[in-house]
Amino acid sequence: MIEVRNLKKTYDVKRRDGLFKSHREKVEAVKDISMRIEAGQIVGLLGINGAGKTTTIKMLTTLIEPTAGSYSFDGLDAIAHPTEVKKQINMIAGGERMIYWRLTAYENLWYYGQLYGIENVILKQRIEKLLKLVGLEDKANIPVETFSKGMKQRLQIARGMINDPKYIFLDEPTIGLDAVVTQELHEEIMNLAKKQEKGILLTSHYLSEVEQLCDYIYLVNNGELIVEGTKRKLTDFVFLRNQYAFSTKGMDEGIYLKLKNHIGFVDKDADVSFEGGKTLITSKVELSSKLAEFALDEKLTINELHKMEPSLEQAVIKLSKEMQKEKMA
Amino acid sequence: MKYFLKVVWAEAVKQHRNYFNNWTIYISLFIWPLFSFLSAYYSYSAFDVDGTLISYINGKNILVFLMLGYMAMSFFRSVVQSAWNFSRERQSGTLEYIYLSTANRLAVLMGNALSSVFESAIVMLVFGMLIIISNRDSINVNTISLGIVLIIFIAMALLWGVFLNACFLYSRDTDFLFTILEEPMEIFAGVKVPIMIFPAWAKIVSFIFPLTYVLEALRQVMLNDASVSSLSNILFACIGIIIVLLSATLFTIGIVEKHMRKTGNVVLF
Repeated sequence: MIEVRNLKKTYDVKRRDGLFKSHREKVEAVKDISMRIEAGQIVGLLGINGAGKTTTIKMLTTLIEPTAGSYSFDGLDAIAHPTEVKKQINMIAGGERMIYWRLTAYENLWYYGQLYGIENVILKQRIEKLLKLVGLEDKANIPVETFSKGMKQRLQIARGMINDPKYIFLDEPTIGLDAVVTQELHEEIMNLAKKQEKGILLTSHYLSEVEQLCDYIYLVNNGELIVEGTKRKLTDFVFLRNQYAFSTKGMDEGIYLKLKNHIGFVDKDADVSFEGGKTLITSKVELSSKLAEFALDEKLTINELHKMEPSLEQAVIKLSKEMQKEKMA
Repeated sequence: MKYFLKVVWAEAVKQHRNYFNNWTIYISLFIWPLFSFLSAYYSYSAFDVDGTLISYINGKNILVFLMLGYMAMSFFRSVVQSAWNFSRERQSGTLEYIYLSTANRLAVLMGNALSSVFESAIVMLVFGMLIIISNRDSINVNTISLGIVLIIFIAMALLWGVFLNACFLYSRDTDFLFTILEEPMEIFAGVKVPIMIFPAWAKIVSFIFPLTYVLEALRQVMLNDASVSSLSNILFACIGIIIVLLSATLFTIGIVEKHMRKTGNVVLF
């Protein structure tokens, strides 16, 4: 089991004040993060850009040393013994970098396998198995530069498995991929955890991805944990906050206030605002039919009734405010 | 040891596949040193070389004298370039995965230098050998000494490459090393002009470059039939440099990784 407590990373950063002047300042990329990852579990680390997800992953992979906090890896002090940790982990990041484009898929895997000192016979078998697993067995001897984005990402997954790691860190692995490839990768990630018992930490800023894959979720913002819990627990907090955009012909402040009152009877915690001639609502309750009813009762013609996927940014902002309120109370 | 050698070999093969995909690259690595060599040779032809301060140089062997300088230079220059190239792995994100692995860092850097030393200099080596063979009546070789000097030469070139690789990895702002080390090495290591005729300040600069020592030894055994005992001072200096380079490399590798873990600069480019 991986367990980190009160992990913190502060960088000493040079800031320019002009053409020739500069000063140094401390930047806290991660302020306080504690988490656990168990074998066979997919743990989500969710947050908007700059929340501290990648720095956290880099600390867990031992590529970056934490400024403070503890990191236990199967009972071992991981900060003091990074090489022991490296034997049992690997990382898969999104994007097309991190593989050698002029080398073939097979050569890439062979090279990375050699870096782990894997015996040649075992390595050959493993490469063949992995290429089959990610559906690249027919492309083994083709240079990576001719691969599509999805194929490169699949090769990244094979590369991340080359040392048969016990724990895998996935840093936004589906970024920039189309829906079909994303779905295929999701299936592969589920397979790694549920059939091969790998412990997986997945960072993402896609709510739906985390909702679909993760058993346990940590939501971070500004380098701090905002909320954590099982998917079921977080559903109420994050995933089921529906958003609606609603407007009618001749919608004005008066109609908006009536609507706000109407929604208040159904969900007193709903967020309602009036912007650019339309009403924006965030609620845990399904409101589509209530909004239609309202228009009918008021004899209004609906211009727009649009239900949107909950956005991470809004969820984070809302949760941050709620946490702050709780702290103040 | 087996694991170490596997990594050295894998890195050398990767560099070969990644950078030497076309025969034209070998030619391009040869053309510039060739022009430089020809320019130096024709510059000498305007003067009477016989009777200079250096007893073993004469009008007959000046071509071989220069060729040895440029051949040796091409080996040392290739490792400076390979070190500079290796720092690009930071941009491609692959450096992060090398550091994520358990591979011995010295083995990785050595594999890179090994590939570069033999591949970048191969055309110059073949050309140089042809020049030397066609001028064999002007040389005076001590075969036993030559064998020893060549071993020392390869070891120094490799370690110089490994050391520079480690330096280039310290941060993305180490490109200045390339400017400092490439051209000055040609000027001050005695590639074109024997360092014995340098003024004192230039001699001091020349002592910085390992090439200076091993090139002098190489010329002595190729042109002056120098025995191991007559070269003992230079050879001891070379062995001392090898020990210093190895120690400095191991120290730098440790510092680089520590620095990367502290600053996270393995991913900055």
